Amino acid sequence: MSYFLSLLVSGISIGFVYGLIALGFVIIFKATKVVNFTHAAIALLGAYVVARTHESLGFWLALLVGIAVAVLVNVLIDVLVLGNARRPDPGTLSIITIGLDILLGAELRRQIGFRTYGLGDPWGTEVIRVGDSFIPQTRIAAAVVAVIVIGLFALIFRFSNWGVAMRAASEDPEAAALMGVRLRRVSIAAWGVAGALATIAGVFFLTFPGGGVSNLAELAILGAFPAAIIGGLDSTGGAVAGGLLVGLTVTFAAGYQNEIAFLGRGVHEAAPFILMFIVLLVRPTGLFGTKELHRV
Amino acid sequence: MVIAFRAQLDVDMEIDGRHILDFWRFSGHTIKLPDIFTAWCLFLVGQEWLRGVVSNVTQSRVAPPTEMTLPGREANGARRTMISKEATDPTFVPSRDLALAVRNLHVAYGGAVKALAGVSLDVPRGSVVAILGNNGAGKSTLLRSISGTLPMHGGSIVAGTVIFDGNGLEGMDPARVVRTGVVQVPEGRRIFGELTVDENLRVASLASTDRSHRMAARAHVYDLFPRLAERPNQRGSLLSGGEQQMLAIGRALMTSPRLLLLDEPSLGLAPNLVGQIAEVVLDINREGISVLIVEQDAAMALEVAEWAYVLEVGQVSLEGRSQDLANSAGIHDSYLGGRQLAGPASKPRAEAASEVGDLRIEDVSLRFGGIRALSDVSFVVDPGTVHAVIGPNGAGKSTLINVLTGVYTADRGRVLFGESELTSMRPHQIGNMGVSRTFQNIAMSSDASVADNLMLGRHRLTRAGFVAAGFRMPWALREQRAHRARVEEIAELVGLGEFLDESAGSLPYGYQKLVELGRALCTEPQLLLLDEPVAGMSASESAEMASIIRRVQEELGISVVVVEHNMPFVMGLASRVTVLDFGRLIADGSPYEVRRDPDVISAYLGGSEDREIREALEREDRAQ
Repeated sequence: MSYFLSLLVSGISIGFVYGLIALGFVIIFKATKVVNFTHAAIALLGAYVVARTHESLGFWLALLVGIAVAVLVNVLIDVLVLGNARRPDPGTLSIITIGLDILLGAELRRQIGFRTYGLGDPWGTEVIRVGDSFIPQTRIAAAVVAVIVIGLFALIFRFSNWGVAMRAASEDPEAAALMGVRLRRVSIAAWGVAGALATIAGVFFLTFPGGGVSNLAELAILGAFPAAIIGGLDSTGGAVAGGLLVGLTVTFAAGYQNEIAFLGRGVHEAAPFILMFIVLLVRPTGLFGTKELHRV
Repeated sequence: MVIAFRAQLDVDMEIDGRHILDFWRFSGHTIKLPDIFTAWCLFLVGQEWLRGVVSNVTQSRVAPPTEMTLPGREANGARRTMISKEATDPTFVPSRDLALAVRNLHVAYGGAVKALAGVSLDVPRGSVVAILGNNGAGKSTLLRSISGTLPMHGGSIVAGTVIFDGNGLEGMDPARVVRTGVVQVPEGRRIFGELTVDENLRVASLASTDRSHRMAARAHVYDLFPRLAERPNQRGSLLSGGEQQMLAIGRALMTSPRLLLLDEPSLGLAPNLVGQIAEVVLDINREGISVLIVEQDAAMALEVAEWAYVLEVGQVSLEGRSQDLANSAGIHDSYLGGRQLAGPASKPRAEAASEVGDLRIEDVSLRFGGIRALSDVSFVVDPGTVHAVIGPNGAGKSTLINVLTGVYTADRGRVLFGESELTSMRPHQIGNMGVSRTFQNIAMSSDASVADNLMLGRHRLTRAGFVAAGFRMPWALREQRAHRARVEEIAELVGLGEFLDESAGSLPYGYQKLVELGRALCTEPQLLLLDEPVAGMSASESAEMASIIRRVQEELGISVVVVEHNMPFVMGLASRVTVLDFGRLIADGSPYEVRRDPDVISAYLGGSEDREIREALEREDRAQ
C-alpha cells in the first residue's frame, strides 16, 4: 500500500513537470496554431545551459541564465525563421520546426557527447521518508515549483492584457487583428513564455532521479508531447491534466513492471504514447480540446 | 520519430565500435551520415527563410498592371451612364474634407484572380456611406484592403491607393490600421465566444495606451448598449444574435475610431433588430465618426447612408445620393426586392398530396439546461406546400429543424411524417424516410466538383458497395450512370447545369447555396427543410432562389419547410407561416393573417421597419 502511495506521489509530481512542458507546447499552439516540434530540444537546451553554468554561477543564477538562453533562442526562432517564411501557414511552419529540432537536437547531443551532467540543484539526492517508502526531495520541489508556475501562468492568462489578447488571437486571429491586437507580438510573447516554461520543466525533469543531462534526455522529455495531445492541443488546463495523466501512467507502469511483464519489458517508456493512442480513439480532440464546432 | 531515429543511429555506432556510417574522413575529422542529414535540414530551413525574405522584398515592388478586363464591363459601363443621369444630383457636393479616399484600387488574390479593378470612392468626414452589391462583387475585398486583412486571405493590392486622413493604409498591418483610427466590424460578427463581454471589449481597448481613456470608452459602450451592461461577465457565445452584433459594434468602438467600417451588420438578424442596429449606426455617426457600411439589405443601408456606391464584378457601376438610388428602378429591382411581394403564394397540389404525407408536429418541447428552446409547439405542414417558420433570433427555429432531422430529441411531444413517427428515429433513419435539409452556413466539400457534391446526395440510393464500385463491376457502372443522369436533371432544375464540372468552392456564394439545395434534392426527398436559404443574398438573388424553390416544389410535388428572416422572400413563397418567439408558437396562418397579427408585429416585424411590407399591405387592403 505504501509502495502504491509513494508511486502516486512521485507520479503526480513528475506529472506536473510533464504538464509544464506540455503547457509551453499548448501556448505556442494556441497563439500561432503551430505545433512546435523543437519544444523538447529547447527544454534540453535550457537544462544543458544550467548544467554547464551552475558550477561557476550557482544553481539559481544558472537557472536564470538557462531560462534567458531558452527564451532568446525561442524568440529568435519565431522572429527570424517563422516570421519570414514564404508561406506562413501553420502546417509549413510546424514542419520547419521539425527541421529546427533536428538541428538543435543534433548540436546538443554533439556538445553533450557521452557525458552526463548533473544540474547542481540544492536538493541533490536527498529523500524524504513517507511511511515505509522514500520520495526524492527533488520530486517534492518539482511539484511545488510547477504548481506555483502553473498557477501564476493561469492568473496571467486570465487577467493580464497579454492573456486576454492571446485568448482572443487564439480564438479568431483575424478578428483580433481587426481589433488592434498585434499578432506578431502575441506570437513572440508566446514563444518566449514557452521557452521559460520548457527550461524550468527540463531542469526538474532531469534532476535526480531523472538521470541528468545526457544524450538520451531529449527522448525522455518527448513524453510530454502525448501529454499535450491527450489534454487537447488548445487547452491550457488540459495540458496540466494530460501531464498528470502521463506522469501517473509512466510511474505506475514502471513501478509495477514485474506485474505487467506480459506487455514486454520497458513498456513504461511507451506508455505515454499508448495512452495517447487510446485517448485519441475515444476523443479525437483530446480530453479538453475544442471540437471543430459547426452550428447546424 | 526523427529524433528517435537519430538517437538510435548515434548509439548503435558507438556500441558496435565500428564506423559503418562514416562517410569519409579528411584531416582527422570524420563526417558521419547524420551530419549530412543535419546539413541538409539546415539547407532546407535556410532556403525557406531566404525565400521569405526575398518575397517580402519583392512583394512591395510588383508593377501595376496597365489594363484589366473583366466580364460584364461593357454592360456596367452602359448602365452607369444611364443611371448617373437620373441619379446624380449636381447640387449634392460631398464635402472635400475626406476621411477616406480610395483611388483606382486594383486587388488580386493569389496573384491571379482579380477581385477589384479600379475602384475609387470617397467617405467625407462625418458622413455615412453605403456600398451595395451582390455576392462576389468585391465588397468584402474592398473592406479588407482598407483594414489590412487582405494578406490573411492571400490577396494583395496590385495598384491604387487607400488614404485615410493623409495616411496611406496600403501595406499596413491590421493592428496599425486600427491605431490610425480605422476599425472594421467583421462580417458575421466574429465576437470572441470564449471571452466574456467585458473581455471582448478589453481586447479592443488595448490599442489605446491611456487607461482613463479606456475606462471612458467602456462606459460609453455600455451606455450605448444597456443590454451588454447587464451581462458583462457572460461569455460571448451565450449571447443572442442581436446581442452579439451589439457587442461586435461596441467592441469596435473601444478602439476610439474615426472611421467605422461595418460589414453586413444586419446579416441573419430579425427585422426588428435590423431597425435597432440602424438606429445605433446613426447614433454613432452623430458623435462624429464616419461610417462606411457594406450591406446586402439595401433598404437598411440606404436608410442610414447619405451616399451610396454600387459594386459590380469589382467595379463601381454607379453611385449617387441614397434617396435617388432608392428611387431608381434598377436598384429597386436588384437590391430592394420590389418584385417579390407580387409573387403568388404556392397552392397545395392535389396529386402531390396523395404521394407525400403531412408533417404533424405535436406538442414538441425541448430544454437545454434551464433554457426552454421549444415549448409545446404544434403545427401541421400540409403535403405539397411551402411552409415557412419565422421568428426573432433565438426563437427556436434552428432547434426545431434539428428536432425534425433527429439531431436533437424532443423532451416531450412527437413529430409525425405521414404514418411514421420521426421523434424516435436516428438522423440517418429520418433521412431514409425522405427528409432532407440544407444548412444555414454552407456545408459541403468545396474542392470537389459540383457533380461530385450532388452525387453525394445519391449515396443513400446507391446499392453497389465499395468493392463492386472499386472493381468497376458492370452493374455498379450502370448504376453510376443512372445516378449521374438524375444528377444532371436536378442540376438543370436548380439552374446549375452549366457548372457541373466546376469545383464547388470556386462558385459565387449564391450558387453554393444552390449546390446545397441540389444535393438535398438528390436524395429524392419528400420533405425538404431549408435553413435560411437566402441569408446574405441580395434581393435579386433571393428572388431567383424563391423562383427556383417554387419550381422545384411544383415539379417534384414535395413539401418544403423553410426557416428565414427575409420577410419579402417568405411572404412571396410560403402558403402558410408559423411564427415562433422564445420557443413558443405565437402565430400560425396564411401570410396575410400573420402579417397583421399584433403579436407578430411587436415580437418580430417591429413597428417602423419594413417599409416594403407596410406598403404592400396597404396596396392589398386597397385592392380588397
